[in-house]
Amino acid sequence: MKQKMNTTFLGALVAAAVALSIASAGAQAPAGGQGAARPRSQPPTSPVTGNAVTGKQLYEGYSCYACHGYTGETGRAFVGNWSGNLATETSFIAFLRGRANVAPAQPSTSMPNFSAATLSDAQAKDIYAYIRTFRSHAPANAEDIPVLNQILGASQQPARP
Amino acid sequence: MTKSKTAVNRRKFLKGAATAAAGAAAVATHIPASDAEAAQRAPGPAQEGAAPAPTAAQIERDAGNVAAPAAARPVQRAVIRPGSDLMVQVLKDLGIEYVALNPGSSFEGLQESLINYGNPPNRMPELITALHEESAVTMAHGYGKATGVPMAALLHGTIGVQHAAMSIYQAYYDRTPALLIAGRDLGFIQAHSANDMAGMVRSFTKWDAQPKTLAETLTALQRAYNEAITPPMGPTIVVVDIELQKEEAREMKVPARTPPRIAGVDATQAREIAKGLLEAQNPRIAVGRLRTPDGVKQAVQLAELVGASTSTAATQGPMSFPQRHPLCGPGATTAYDYTVGLEAEGAQVSIIGPGLSTLLERDPTNIGFGGIAPAPAGGRGDAGRAARGRVIALDAEASLAPIVEEVRRQMTPDRQRLVQERSAKHAAANEKARVEALQQALEQKKAGWDATPISTARIYAELWPLIMKEDWCLSSPSGFSGGHNTQLWDHDKPYRYLGGQGAGGMGYGAPASVGAALAAKSRGRIVINVQTDGDLNYAPGVLWTAAHHQLPLLTIMHNNRAWHQELMFVEYMCGVRGRGGERGHIGTTLRNPSIDYRMMAAGYGMAGEGPITDPSKLSAALKRGVASVKRGEPYLIDVITQPR
Repeated sequence: MKQKMNTTFLGALVAAAVALSIASAGAQAPAGGQGAARPRSQPPTSPVTGNAVTGKQLYEGYSCYACHGYTGETGRAFVGNWSGNLATETSFIAFLRGRANVAPAQPSTSMPNFSAATLSDAQAKDIYAYIRTFRSHAPANAEDIPVLNQILGASQQPARP
Repeated sequence: MTKSKTAVNRRKFLKGAATAAAGAAAVATHIPASDAEAAQRAPGPAQEGAAPAPTAAQIERDAGNVAAPAAARPVQRAVIRPGSDLMVQVLKDLGIEYVALNPGSSFEGLQESLINYGNPPNRMPELITALHEESAVTMAHGYGKATGVPMAALLHGTIGVQHAAMSIYQAYYDRTPALLIAGRDLGFIQAHSANDMAGMVRSFTKWDAQPKTLAETLTALQRAYNEAITPPMGPTIVVVDIELQKEEAREMKVPARTPPRIAGVDATQAREIAKGLLEAQNPRIAVGRLRTPDGVKQAVQLAELVGASTSTAATQGPMSFPQRHPLCGPGATTAYDYTVGLEAEGAQVSIIGPGLSTLLERDPTNIGFGGIAPAPAGGRGDAGRAARGRVIALDAEASLAPIVEEVRRQMTPDRQRLVQERSAKHAAANEKARVEALQQALEQKKAGWDATPISTARIYAELWPLIMKEDWCLSSPSGFSGGHNTQLWDHDKPYRYLGGQGAGGMGYGAPASVGAALAAKSRGRIVINVQTDGDLNYAPGVLWTAAHHQLPLLTIMHNNRAWHQELMFVEYMCGVRGRGGERGHIGTTLRNPSIDYRMMAAGYGMAGEGPITDPSKLSAALKRGVASVKRGEPYLIDVITQPR
């Protein structure tokens, strides 16, 4: 039998997400990551001028997928959590350039720098066009996934000795 | 017996070997009348000279294809009671379940005893065939973490010890017991021998010996076991000369063994700690990694006796407090007024057993492996484990019995009532916190649920309902795979999750999982190995060991076709130097061609399926895998995954 999740708790999460989405709809975030707006659950609506097909090749060729997943939903995910750095093409390009000369003493998995000499503005716009095609590959709520319900249900059973 | 000490001239060596083989063939059909005669007929130093080519029959017999005629079988052996039989008897007496080895001539006497001595032979211990010494020792590493007691591994001379070196280091750094035996044969191949065989791994073993007599060898094996299980636990190594394995033991008996005495708190300290726990309004017990399942049992006993909320390290590794115990969690209030740490930090008292830095005298060249040399607080290694409160540098597990005893002595009906009231409040609060945390985690884990490649969270989520009612063990480090078990699964036994590699060395997951599966096989458990692809390729032959020994091991490939963390590191470095990231995949990815792990498993005789790219097909594959390992047949599922 399907074990329903705690609807009060999940309902609150959904309501919060919807409220955030409504509040931020149409807003433009400042560029470059400094003072960026809060992440938004819905993708930006700013204009896109790049080529998403070329962008896909670049997203994979420059190993963007390595940190952000092939669909932007795993690792350092941004689908459903759209940073202000992704609000516009301009803010995205500024973010790519903004990591210059950051050389930590230890190995880092932070966002690398992409200078104009290694990734042109046109290429950056292509990547931007591609990631703007990203959509969630998950149901809106965890309770819509039977196996997750099963996990929650089992956790509410008495612990085995 | 005279041994040649001269360096080997290859031509002479080969001729000598042929002569020796012919001599051995003659001995095989001769029945010695006495030990003395057998000794007289023992071959001397290799002589140079013409040797007849082996006959077809000899070749067949050497290949194991021909049994000697019944009439020609000796009725009396050259050695009645070989020394290696007694060595195996020591292992039996110690309760060693398994000995992993990759065959080598320097321990052929021991190997023969392992497979033929005892009734039934090749049981307790059972010989486990490894395809690499690194695999053999890492099996012992995984077994040791799952059980808290050592498994043994045999290493062949200098080459075997060096093959094993990284895995020995890793077990050492992980403070996991293992009993290693290195064979030495000074008279055979000089390159395989050394004057001080254990010297090359001394800096990262707990203890070693190179005994000169059979009697010393038996005692050394016993002491090696004792040292391995005494904190700081770790691998120990005994070098055993081939002559001692083959010598006639006559009436010699295995000496009695005295188990080690592991020091815990004394009566005064126990009294003080018990008083602190009982007089506190809100006591807290922080539990780290204890030594054995018995220690975990006692920690639970103590927490229940005093009604203390507890923290656990069960989601980081083995031998800690059960995650879903009603007292495990922050409790009803986090205003703790007396905190005791058991191999963990405590605000008032931290009972933390000796760390690796106590073994510095075994690092005479001051190599300082792993930064275990004294380092500033906050540095790497156990020297950086700063503890708050008063530190009692004694083993926490050995301290539990006297503390429990003292708590019982100081308990009063009033205190008992307070404990019961507090425990009930903690249980309710912890249950609420746990379910809320799980709900939040489930919302996060659904991200990319239907995406291709498959999310690592979905692997752990789909798997959990299939194993939650089994007696399972997650043997592989989960950090590279998102660590989803820590939020989704219930780590309620000391062996549920075996934690990381020890020293971060790759090539650990598969062999450690085989070791865990050896422990599981005799205990009716199943083992889950979420196997990163880069890690498997160091020594994949261990899949054959799992298939050969029919181990209950489910391997699920987290196949992101890369050494993924290194890919991210290199990409960052490309960015720092402003030279572009489009070549970051060079040297960090496993593509062109992509490796087919189902075929790899099939080649080693292990059933499996994949590659699976469609997330909707994952659950059915996992069900087939779990069903297979429950039948005792290992199974591999190749899943093409998101990077992390």
